Amino acid sequence: MHSLLQRGNSILAYALSVLACLTFICFASTVFLNYVTDAKMNTVKVVVKNVPDYSASREKNDLGFLTFDLQTDLTSLFNWNVKQLFLYLTAEYETPSNELNQVVLWDKIILRGENAILDFKNMNTKYYFWDDGNGLKGNKNITLTLSWNMIPNAGLLPNIFASGSHSFKFPAEYTTTRM
Amino acid sequence: MDFFNRIPTHMDFEGQARAEKLSRIIITLFGAVGLIWGYIIQQFSQTVYILGAGFVLAALLTIPPWPLYRRKPLKWQSSKNGNEGQNKETSKKGKKK
Repeated sequence: MHSLLQRGNSILAYALSVLACLTFICFASTVFLNYVTDAKMNTVKVVVKNVPDYSASREKNDLGFLTFDLQTDLTSLFNWNVKQLFLYLTAEYETPSNELNQVVLWDKIILRGENAILDFKNMNTKYYFWDDGNGLKGNKNITLTLSWNMIPNAGLLPNIFASGSHSFKFPAEYTTTRM
Repeated sequence: MDFFNRIPTHMDFEGQARAEKLSRIIITLFGAVGLIWGYIIQQFSQTVYILGAGFVLAALLTIPPWPLYRRKPLKWQSSKNGNEGQNKETSKKGKKK
């Protein structure tokens, strides 16, 4: 402590230790919170086509098209340790060739301070709903679920599934007209 | 160069103790207040800014050797045979140069 640099060093080191301590308190104050909320989903229009998937091969695969409604209020999820939410809508289904298929159809980033009350009507999906074969036509049980990643200031990066899901079925016939 | 050398940069022993104690108190206090305020308005960035303000304040108050920290300088004993010692020192310095 006898020279300028030593005093500066010790103050800086102490301030950084305090900052680390505060960050840990921030993490500890939110780590046990329950972040599950309710989300309502519904599908509006559902069709399935059989078209070549040139990104994988030239074989014809099933491609699903759907529009959906989504209603949820996520404002309660934000606190001082949440910087943003990454929402994604997953379709989950079973086919003869695969026991579990999961396809992300849509996603959205919500920053803190942005509107977190979502009410979407008749939304298009953001990504293609490809099956890796012909498992979509006439599939009786496709389940849509909403999940989110929470990006914190400090701590865990939890992956949370909303309570509430929607099951629907694909028509038994391919659609051939352009949409 | 002489001008810069004349700027005092040292504190006396008690001044050092006071400076360290004061800086710890300021930073801890700002950290605690920032934590509470940040929790109330749910903005951790405010906590960090308040702690930063505490750091700046502590740096201004305790890094420069303010007169407050130089009130009790050590009283050195005067050397017994001052003249000889001085002569030796000057001769050494002369050799170095």
